[in-house]
Amino acid sequence: MYFDLTDEQRALRSTVRDFLADRFPLSAVRALYDDDTDGDPAELWKSVGEQGWLAVLIPEQYDGLGLGLLDAAVLARCWGEGCVPGPFLPTLVAAEALRLGGTDAQKSAWLPRVAAGDAKVTLAHGGGVTETGGKLSGTIRHVEYAHVADALVVAADGGRLWLVDPHGAGVTVTVTDALDRSTVLTTVTLDGAAGEELAAPVLPEVLDRAAVLYANDLAGVARVALTRTVDYDKTREQFGRPVGSFQAIKHALADLHVAVTMAEHAGWYAAHALDAGLPDATLAVSVAKSKAGDAAREATAAMIQYHGGIGYTWEHDAHLFFKRAKRAEYQYGDPAEHRERIARLVVDGA
Amino acid sequence: MDLTYSEADERFRTEFRGWLDANLPAQWRERGFWAKQDRDEGFRMRREWEAGKARAGFAGIQWPTEYGGRGGTPAQRAIYDEEMVRYRAPLTVNGLGLTFLAPTLMVIGTDEQKREIIKPLLHNEVIWCQGFSEPNAGSDLAALQCRAESDGDEYVINGQKIWTSQAMHADKMFGLFRTSTEDKKHRGITMLIVDLRSPDGSPAPGVDIRPLKQMTGGLDFGEVFFTDVRVPKTNVIGVEGGGWDVAMLLLSFERGSSAMPQYTGFRRELDDVVGLARDLGRDRNPLLRQRIANSVVELECLKYHSLHILTQVEQGKELGAASSMTKLQWSETHQDIGELFADVAGLAHQISGDGLDDLQRSFLWSRSETIWGGSSQVQRNIVAERLLGLPR
Repeated sequence: MYFDLTDEQRALRSTVRDFLADRFPLSAVRALYDDDTDGDPAELWKSVGEQGWLAVLIPEQYDGLGLGLLDAAVLARCWGEGCVPGPFLPTLVAAEALRLGGTDAQKSAWLPRVAAGDAKVTLAHGGGVTETGGKLSGTIRHVEYAHVADALVVAADGGRLWLVDPHGAGVTVTVTDALDRSTVLTTVTLDGAAGEELAAPVLPEVLDRAAVLYANDLAGVARVALTRTVDYDKTREQFGRPVGSFQAIKHALADLHVAVTMAEHAGWYAAHALDAGLPDATLAVSVAKSKAGDAAREATAAMIQYHGGIGYTWEHDAHLFFKRAKRAEYQYGDPAEHRERIARLVVDGA
Repeated sequence: MDLTYSEADERFRTEFRGWLDANLPAQWRERGFWAKQDRDEGFRMRREWEAGKARAGFAGIQWPTEYGGRGGTPAQRAIYDEEMVRYRAPLTVNGLGLTFLAPTLMVIGTDEQKREIIKPLLHNEVIWCQGFSEPNAGSDLAALQCRAESDGDEYVINGQKIWTSQAMHADKMFGLFRTSTEDKKHRGITMLIVDLRSPDGSPAPGVDIRPLKQMTGGLDFGEVFFTDVRVPKTNVIGVEGGGWDVAMLLLSFERGSSAMPQYTGFRRELDDVVGLARDLGRDRNPLLRQRIANSVVELECLKYHSLHILTQVEQGKELGAASSMTKLQWSETHQDIGELFADVAGLAHQISGDGLDDLQRSFLWSRSETIWGGSSQVQRNIVAERLLGLPR
């Protein structure tokens, strides 16, 4: 019985944390809010690729590290902690589609490039995409970083997956202006675009793995939002005493600490459950995503509230956390959707 | 991450299940069985069954063998707890002694106390209650006023204890008494052992035990009044005036305990609520489905958390105030399940036939769980101050 990170996973976590604090602190995230860039931090992408962190889920035969989802979840949590921008999770997720469902040729073509940090890929799903004779048509909204992607993995109606060249004929990518600028959400319009089908319709597995990664990102967002609020309320004085000494605030922060801790445990458990093929893996995925979504929303909202007026300003970091939490809450199933899935498992016995 | 138990631990599970299969009467496992038994007779049955379990070696799982324990691992303790709930085996009648008194004596008891108290406790020869709370000392435990005045080599006790679980059946009490009013309030407290019974089983001279009827209608706790009750000074646990520290040590033994039994029991209760929703055709109601799922989420999180705590214990790590999180998570979630039961049943949740059914009793009982053992408000203070470091 060992429910915790291994020493190796802890070492990975502290390396990533140190790297991000040094190379991409929140001031760099803030720059994406204030500058009119494409929202894709190219330098960060390059150096993360050099560290080999994008190789975590890629099998060794494709030049990857061949580690598990729990190891990837360690990274995802670090991204969340730092509100890190860039197509990291999108690439991990889309590469999972290729790893699980790609043809040998597709895997050979793409996985080594992803592992080396040479290719960005993203998953476009949830739209009404139809296919006729290998040509795809339809509009998919809220696709992360399609504007800088080297390949799109498109889910068509019926759950079949297709590899699509975002620069090919019949593909239009429009960047939208999202509240959270630690991502870029685009609209992908396909009008008879050429697609190369994956060998297996693995969308459900990919969505579960994505939900776990985003749940861990959210757990990271929630933990830092809470910690920073606690630190502030230890020193901020009103009525001649630290506001954190008032039970109205203490009890709210205590409840959040419990909720965030549960979300953290749930994030680890779900990743391990998929790695180990535990019988309750599907349930664990939905528990993790719904709990993390709720906890991150509440913790980041509390970050604003318990900083008072300063927490509502543009200059303060609270909105970076709040907006990221709200964005990731809805990606790969929001809490209510995951609870309904749990109800199907537990109430309907599905 | 490795959520499997060792081979030795799994062998223990098989062995314990074998014993339960052979020794737990089938009708005891039926829903509502214990509610139908006469209170004293039910207590006697559980007391004897538990003593037999101890004789078979399935008690004091983690205790050293020199105290009659099994010398097992924390994982075996967790497996034991889980199987007890899974089999619907009757819970211990000597919980306060097992959880608190015995581990405390193993650390600070005199040789005589260790010898004379621990093993008889394990075998239910002596049933223990805990005398902490008083009418004016609940969450503010150090405000306790029940006096123990020194008189030669004895103390003379006068005053009252309240909310004393198992008061009606206990033979002895370990309790906190004020031995000095001059020291600071935390310093004038001593932990004493008090005999509550005469040899014939009636209350000892000067001891008056009265049941308190709970909102379930049950009589699981009571009040104990002392009038000039004499206790030898050898009955001090620790040292005179050191009772507060002993109490803190004693309460720390709750920390390592896993919430797996609560998880297992509450999940089964939730299954019953889901079954009720189906029977009443309310399982399609989207709001109820969301709430059922939310209770599943909180219970599953409790399970993961318990596995994490168990790991910490096995690694020999100091848990500190983490038990306050565990208590908040299970007690608040259980209360939500009680509310869910009432909302699924509607007005029918009010109606009992032959006594309360299990869901009704749990629904009411869950209201006590956020009070006893440190109220939710006290737990939140502990989490905020000791885990988050917020100022007092």
